[in-house]
Amino acid sequence: MDVRVPEIPATYDGFAAGLRAFVARERPTLVGKQRTGLRVPEEADMAALRTWVRAIYDAGYRLGRFTVDEVDPIEQRIIVRELAAAGVPYVLGNPLVSGALKAFGTDEQRDRYLPPMARGDHIWTQLFSEPDAGSDLASLQTTARLEDDHYVVNGQKVWSTWAQWADYGYLLARSEPKAGPGGISAFVLDMASDGVEVRPLREMTGTTDFNEVFLHDVRIPAADLIGEPGAGWMAAQTSLLTEREGLGGGTGGGVADGLVALARSHRRHGRAAIEDHSVRQAIGSFEARSRIFRALGYRAATKAASGTVDPWDAPLTKLWYSELNLEVAEYGLALQGPRGSLVEGDPGAWDDGSWQDRFLYARALTIAGGSNEIMRNVIAERGLGLPREPRGES
Amino acid sequence: MQFAFGEEQDLLRSTTRRFLERTQPLGALRPLLEAPEVFDRQVWRHGAELGWTSMLVPPEHEGGSVTDQGLVDLVVLGEELGRALNPGPFVPTNVVADALSTAGSEDQRRAHLAPLARGEAVAAWCVSGDGSVDPDECAVTARRGNDGYVLDGVARFVHGATVADLLLVLATTGDGPVHLLVPASAAGIDVRAQACLDLTRRFGEVRFTRVAVAPSGLVPADVNSVLDRAVDVATVLQAAEAVGAADRLFHDTVGYLGDRRQFGRTIASFQAIKHRLADLLVVLEGMRAATHYAALALCEGMEDAPAAVSAAGAFVGDGFAHLCGEAVQLHGGIGFTWEHDVHLFVRRAVTSQKLYGDPGWHRERLCAWAEAS
Repeated sequence: MDVRVPEIPATYDGFAAGLRAFVARERPTLVGKQRTGLRVPEEADMAALRTWVRAIYDAGYRLGRFTVDEVDPIEQRIIVRELAAAGVPYVLGNPLVSGALKAFGTDEQRDRYLPPMARGDHIWTQLFSEPDAGSDLASLQTTARLEDDHYVVNGQKVWSTWAQWADYGYLLARSEPKAGPGGISAFVLDMASDGVEVRPLREMTGTTDFNEVFLHDVRIPAADLIGEPGAGWMAAQTSLLTEREGLGGGTGGGVADGLVALARSHRRHGRAAIEDHSVRQAIGSFEARSRIFRALGYRAATKAASGTVDPWDAPLTKLWYSELNLEVAEYGLALQGPRGSLVEGDPGAWDDGSWQDRFLYARALTIAGGSNEIMRNVIAERGLGLPREPRGES
Repeated sequence: MQFAFGEEQDLLRSTTRRFLERTQPLGALRPLLEAPEVFDRQVWRHGAELGWTSMLVPPEHEGGSVTDQGLVDLVVLGEELGRALNPGPFVPTNVVADALSTAGSEDQRRAHLAPLARGEAVAAWCVSGDGSVDPDECAVTARRGNDGYVLDGVARFVHGATVADLLLVLATTGDGPVHLLVPASAAGIDVRAQACLDLTRRFGEVRFTRVAVAPSGLVPADVNSVLDRAVDVATVLQAAEAVGAADRLFHDTVGYLGDRRQFGRTIASFQAIKHRLADLLVVLEGMRAATHYAALALCEGMEDAPAAVSAAGAFVGDGFAHLCGEAVQLHGGIGFTWEHDVHLFVRRAVTSQKLYGDPGWHRERLCAWAEAS
């Protein structure tokens, strides 16, 4: 048994130093505040971010998720480490489609879409959920009717991240006469097409990270179908699995980090909260769950590498992370006492309201990427082989 | 990265499982549940041949492990023994063997390790008067006499005390605690079996009345580092037993709910049940990952080993108890009967949750660790 990641050989020192120098030179200073989670930048920062991501690409630093070419895994580790340390986004848009293009796209589609996606020239959004098709995504109603060499699309999408800045959309629509998942196809949608209307949504966080997208007689060339007609569900499942692993995975900092600092600087019953027995117990408990999350990540990585992934792995990790993250955020507010109600902008707010933003945003992670209730269904049905939920009339 | 057991360890698991199913299925324990003794020395000796007590003992003393990670090998065995609710003093015997291997004098190693490894001798660990691992709760005193030490006092919740041949005793002296090795047959030692919720293991109250211990009984190494190490090893092995027991009970419960029909359908088809089972799987897999990582970290002497062990200690005991409680509830009326095995797990979970540092003790240790890092 072993969880050590092989040391990066000294022969890569030059590569790493070059990248660090590049980051120091090119890293943009952003106007907008960096917030927790997968957040969409403000308009004022978009030009600077596009320049930054283009510079990364043009300097030859490529992320493996955007290419079908062989990549050097050690270089990838260095790239991800150094770019993450830069503290500004280095992927623009929601690149969910890259997995689908790699697995199901044509060579022409990959050549046409992957490099500009990697370079930040094309920002992508996902057009999956609908007002009446959330957890039950397979019941989606947006239609794609084939007319000669074009599909004509009508419907309404929601929870599309980055759609306000997107150049392309990864669209699921019903093109085949079959009900349920078998009738769904996946498409590349040029967001500049006639009939596409994007309306940003403001969420409970007060920020805008999602959008509604209305599609009215939008024409999509038949060549922009991803995979076979009716194979969209499979493409989406492949992509969502990657997203769930992304939401849950990772072996970075601890989820419970920051609680000790809060407990030191806030008081409870006339003394520093960190001296209170119940606070110490709670922090110890969060610390345990946070460390176990990391161990679950080691196991997921091992199983992924050996192709022995169980169907419950990704949903289980997602449940673990999203619930722990929410509880840590709630406890962070509790430690702050009445001050826990103050938000960004108030001089009394702790760390300019970062815990309050995390508390509100935590609900995105318990709901997005398949709600935690759906995760429990997946674990029970695909993981434990229990009977499927009965289907009602739709 | 290979955060999984290897082929040799998988083989060790299947061999051990077959052996236990053949020699000591749960049904065989049934007639002994309320008997004074439930431990079977014959089974233990055969188990020793399969490595139950040798993984932490060096080869020159007839020990040896399957891989070069003896503690990880031992976790495989612990899971299988836990799965069978095996009564044997797996945790204390290995803790004592490890303490002697890492900290014992040459004479102590030569005298005791081979018999422990062969399963001929069984060891118990007398830590405190209240079952905790807090040295302040140590209730045995060692007075330095003309020739060695004289012990007086009591240790409780000593797993295996009723059958042990060798005791490792934590005792206080005028200048701090010491660890002493004492033959269980020494004059002045009196063992009373404690009547306990756990019916598949026996715990004893060990009373020491003017027990003379030769100077050679003193474990020479620093007492605090021996104690810390022993607590860590005990926590990991106890967690491994809990994981094995929880895994079996969970899957038995899933199977039962898939068979049981009410309202014209299997009750496992109700979402209220499915979601509870999904949540229990989350707990079970968390227990497993925590235990495996703790074993690895401790075995490899990784920097975060104490925190890794306490993450397991904080989560596994509570998780096991929670899972057992849910299993009773999900079984319904049948789960409330004496005949059904589920109460044996519920009972086992209570002792698993309390000994070698309870979850609260480990949470405190984790908080202190987080403060220091």
